[in-house]
Amino acid sequence: MEIRSFSDYLRSVDDAAFLNLFSSRPDLVIPVPPDIASLAVRACSPPSLARAIDSLNKWQFQVLEAACVLNEPFTAKRLIAITDKAADGALTHLISIGLVYPSEDGMRLPTPLRDVLGSEPAGLGPESLAKLTLTELENAPTDAKKVLERLIWGPPRGSVGDIKNPGSGVAWLLERKFLVPLDQRTVILPREVGLFLRGGKTHRESFTNPPELIGVKREIRQINLAAIANISTVLRWIEELLNFWAEEPADALRAGGLGVRDLKILATHLGVDEACAAFITELAYLTSLISIDANDRIMPSNKFDVWLMQTPADRWQVLTSAWLTTSRVSGLVGRADTRNVAALGPELDRVNAARVRALTLSILNENPELAPNIKSFIEFLTWRAPVRRNSLLQDELATWTLREAEWLGLTGQGAFSKYGIDFLSGGDLNLINSDLPKTVDHILIQSDNTAIAPGPLEHEISQQLAIMAEIESRGGATVYRFSEATIRRALDHGKTGDEIRAFLLKTSKTPMPQPLDYLISDVAKKHGKLRIGNTASFIRCEDTSLITQIMNDKKLEVLSLRRIAPEVVICEREATDAMRILRDAGYLPAAESQHGMLLSGPQSKRAQTKPRPPRIIGEIETPDEDQLNSAIRAIRTGEKSRHKQTHLRQIASEALGALPRNSANETMDLINRFIQEEKSLSIGYADNNGAVTHRIIDPIRVSAGALIARDHATGEVQSFRIPRITGVAPL
Amino acid sequence: MTDGPLIVQSDKTLLLDIDHPLSTECRRAIAPFAELERSPEHIHTYRLTPLGLWNARAAGHDAEQVIDTLIKYSRYSVPHSILIDVAETMSRYGRLRLEADPVHGLILVTTDTAVLEEVIRARKIAPLLGARIDAETIAVLPSQRGHIKQSLLRLGWPAEDFAGYVDGQAHPIELVQKDWQIRPYQELAAEGFWHGGSGVVVLPCGAGKTIVGAAAMAHAKATTLILVTNTIAARQWREELLKRTTLNEDEIGEYSGAKKEIRPVTIATYQVMTKKKNGVYAHLDLFDTHDWGLIIYDEVHLLPAPIFRFTADIQSRRRLGLTATLVREDGMEGEVFSLIGPKRYDVPWKEIEAQGYIAPAECIEVRVNLTEGERLLYATAEPENRYRTCATTRTKRNVVETLVKKHAGEQILVIGQYITQLDELAEVLGVPLIKGDTPIKEREILFNKFRTGEITCLVVSKVANFSIDLPDATIAIQVSGAFGSRQEEAQRLGRILRPKSDGRSAKFYSVISRDTIDQDFAQNRQRFLAEQGYSYKIIDADDVYLDKI
Repeated sequence: MEIRSFSDYLRSVDDAAFLNLFSSRPDLVIPVPPDIASLAVRACSPPSLARAIDSLNKWQFQVLEAACVLNEPFTAKRLIAITDKAADGALTHLISIGLVYPSEDGMRLPTPLRDVLGSEPAGLGPESLAKLTLTELENAPTDAKKVLERLIWGPPRGSVGDIKNPGSGVAWLLERKFLVPLDQRTVILPREVGLFLRGGKTHRESFTNPPELIGVKREIRQINLAAIANISTVLRWIEELLNFWAEEPADALRAGGLGVRDLKILATHLGVDEACAAFITELAYLTSLISIDANDRIMPSNKFDVWLMQTPADRWQVLTSAWLTTSRVSGLVGRADTRNVAALGPELDRVNAARVRALTLSILNENPELAPNIKSFIEFLTWRAPVRRNSLLQDELATWTLREAEWLGLTGQGAFSKYGIDFLSGGDLNLINSDLPKTVDHILIQSDNTAIAPGPLEHEISQQLAIMAEIESRGGATVYRFSEATIRRALDHGKTGDEIRAFLLKTSKTPMPQPLDYLISDVAKKHGKLRIGNTASFIRCEDTSLITQIMNDKKLEVLSLRRIAPEVVICEREATDAMRILRDAGYLPAAESQHGMLLSGPQSKRAQTKPRPPRIIGEIETPDEDQLNSAIRAIRTGEKSRHKQTHLRQIASEALGALPRNSANETMDLINRFIQEEKSLSIGYADNNGAVTHRIIDPIRVSAGALIARDHATGEVQSFRIPRITGVAPL
Repeated sequence: MTDGPLIVQSDKTLLLDIDHPLSTECRRAIAPFAELERSPEHIHTYRLTPLGLWNARAAGHDAEQVIDTLIKYSRYSVPHSILIDVAETMSRYGRLRLEADPVHGLILVTTDTAVLEEVIRARKIAPLLGARIDAETIAVLPSQRGHIKQSLLRLGWPAEDFAGYVDGQAHPIELVQKDWQIRPYQELAAEGFWHGGSGVVVLPCGAGKTIVGAAAMAHAKATTLILVTNTIAARQWREELLKRTTLNEDEIGEYSGAKKEIRPVTIATYQVMTKKKNGVYAHLDLFDTHDWGLIIYDEVHLLPAPIFRFTADIQSRRRLGLTATLVREDGMEGEVFSLIGPKRYDVPWKEIEAQGYIAPAECIEVRVNLTEGERLLYATAEPENRYRTCATTRTKRNVVETLVKKHAGEQILVIGQYITQLDELAEVLGVPLIKGDTPIKEREILFNKFRTGEITCLVVSKVANFSIDLPDATIAIQVSGAFGSRQEEAQRLGRILRPKSDGRSAKFYSVISRDTIDQDFAQNRQRFLAEQGYSYKIIDADDVYLDKI
């Protein structure tokens, strides 16, 4: 088949090539396009091209820039000549991801690619229209050389005071067309001159290989030990955070998110810094473990109860997966220049966050046992993903990612752990369950009113203890301190003094010190002397016989009265109801205003609303091979039916003698091709009222949803809105 | 996961399981860089502090050793952040050095000009500096040696002090070990101090801190100034020095309210040093006018503020601080360390007890029930009088009486805070009372009679909190105290910790009114001792009457 356009090229490739293309550019098959023409249009759309370009490393990008410098069609040889021998490999990659395609007369670029890359690739200006004698440059006067030196590595534009009255150097260059005036004050260096001065190469230096990644070598055993400690820590943090907010929900700011004060309180409670607290909070939010309810209170969702039932490995996987794919960046919280960015707030999304994270992990994975030095790592990352689009923050994102990977236990002592490797490769994470330190089922109570759990406690016990005692120190072990306040809290939770004592006796390996025993009974003795309860209304009367009378009155049974003191009765009904019923029964009650707060004991709260985890923007997940294969099948099928349809349509339109008609995708495809071939076209174009007219045009370019073209009828350059073009046919 | 005795927590505390076979070895390994915080019966808590890590650097340990030790003994994996923190903190030490220069006097030298640039720009440091000598050196005003060290420490760039100490006027002092032997821990403490140059030694009450002082003097062999809390303590120091060293009576002077002698070894009281005459401290120049080779601060936790300030100015003299309880309710522990010097020796009380150098003690809290009338009185008392009201109830008196009767024949001290209460008790019990306005002479007579057994029971006010050496006292009954002061409780227990000739254990009773703030304060007071491993037993007053203890 003759290859005249990108879609022709796509029709010519085999399934393996498709597979390659789709796995590196998943946006092409999400959603699956109906046929190859649509695929070609999507692949040539600027956003998709930009994504593809983002995936290039520094060297591949240099080669692509060089390709843009060349005129189409070009040969691989020519490309190598202006870059480096290694360009061969890069070119193959560029072809495989559809940024360059071979046609019968040489290599070509998808038409909009040049627009995406900008008009001055590699800092080289446009081609000269005039014939140049480049050898003359060698004899350029010093002034001219100085000017050239400034423009040689780009940008190729320079400003002059007045083009009519330039300095001697500029004048010399202008005269020989080595500089071309652009407007009154700007001159530009033509591409040939630039290339010549650069010694025939597009770049000063060819970054064919990545910089060396330096860091500290770590021992595998130590890495994994450290990583498992980190994993157990991060799981503990999450649980503590949720328990903390279950007890005392935090308030969301009006503008959304968690206030600085609440973040500080949380950080102190967890014993971490604020950056880490923000990270933990965001993790819980991403995984729907916390929810912000209608009253703007932040508290655990009921997913937390499910979570507690899961194995550590499952929990960790949930956290890590959510972290890897999210576009939210907790590192932004509390940064000096973005002080008002709140955790859980709406301003944390950054488009390239997930990409940087994925890239960081894969670099770590490629360098086993190495704890990279941050500076070196950023250099390496910059080579792998040269900063172009959404470039902000890439360095910081990388720093934060390394930090967070350590918190998560993907790395241990800075090097990628076996858990990280298994996570990336989808391996068996159950290893985590067995590697985590064994839980202990006992504590040691000491006479200074502290209790120490010499390892991670069983969940049930730690839950109970957290109510009875304050945590004083966290880590592998936990130190609890008992005080009057904590014992009272346990009593508030409905425990009795005896229950607390029994629990401690059962759990402690050491005998219970007497002062603690006394502390418990002292507090228990005092607790609950004052009783508080809820009631709808009360009835009081100084005449106790009258009280006895209403207690025994059958007509008042509906009130379900309870006598709480000789002179006071409480009632389940509201005061107005009670009043009515009493009156109906023949009594003469008077209303009394009521004061006082109703108190209820703290309880572990759950939000009533469904959790709404934050939306993820930006990255598209890479589909697996099965999905890709089915996508390929779908496209092939679509392609076959399209042929049939086009054929039928042609028969129909010939019969009607009508204007050219194509599907929208075919239209785009044809337009792209004809722009490249610079041929005149016949198009059908609908006006505002829907009437279709026939126009003959010379297409120039596609821009912002419109085709810019010269209309033969008027001789003017005009823009045609693409949705209104009913069809395109060559003349 | 290994099976070590140590658990390194993420908040920089180290938990040492003392029932573990490696615990002694581990304790020795971490002692140089970690501060002992609590030592109750099962798990001891140490803490990694910048100061501790810097002291370890000063003593020649490097970060690698510290990290290796932590990893070696740790039961679980050591948090990475701690390892980084240790390395970072320790690397800050020694970038700045204070040196003596023959031309410029005292100089601050650096190996890292950026650090020097940073510190000389600090507002607090600039006024202490002299002329810049070169990129890496700057002169320091010699009188500001203490201040600059303190300020640099606060900035997080501790200076290593190579400027050395003045030797002071030499004076021969030797220990005379005829009928006694210096104990191993006393020797270690004195040596630890001497090698470190200056610092604080923390030993339990009754463990013989005076002998550590004497041993330090024997190292220094120079004129010595000893600062003590009161005159009685001064006399006791004098007695001890006469007994333990080659010093004779003429070589030891007392500088107190009563006498103003200056001898090669001079013992001065804090009181006289801080006495003001016409608005100036008249006696502070005692520090300066004599060429002391060593200054000893007894009971350094009581160091008064003016002496703090003055101590900063005498950094070129060797300083030794002695204390049992370096807890200050005013939180000035850090100042003590930076001015006198770091903690050079510390050992859990229970360990000394186990070695038999201090008497085992039983701490008993006796709870009395207030009568209805007393309860009402307490409930309606003004907030500022509440503690006094419940601490001095009549009901306590009965219990004290019973306790004294019960322990008849033993040497008993009844200790309290409020003079009226003590007056009453002394009267009821029919025993002498020592309080603030008791003349020194009379106090000495009474203490002597107590020591010889002529009288067996004494009622004392807070004047006897410290430094009073009463070897045979075995029973202390505390009826009231200075609110929740932890160190007072420990010091009072200390009065009865001298090992008894018959190996008997001491009993420390604390009489507390139930369900009042007396009880809350008692809890706070007991914290220090509980953290040292003393377990309080709580009994009811009725048990005392029924003799059930």
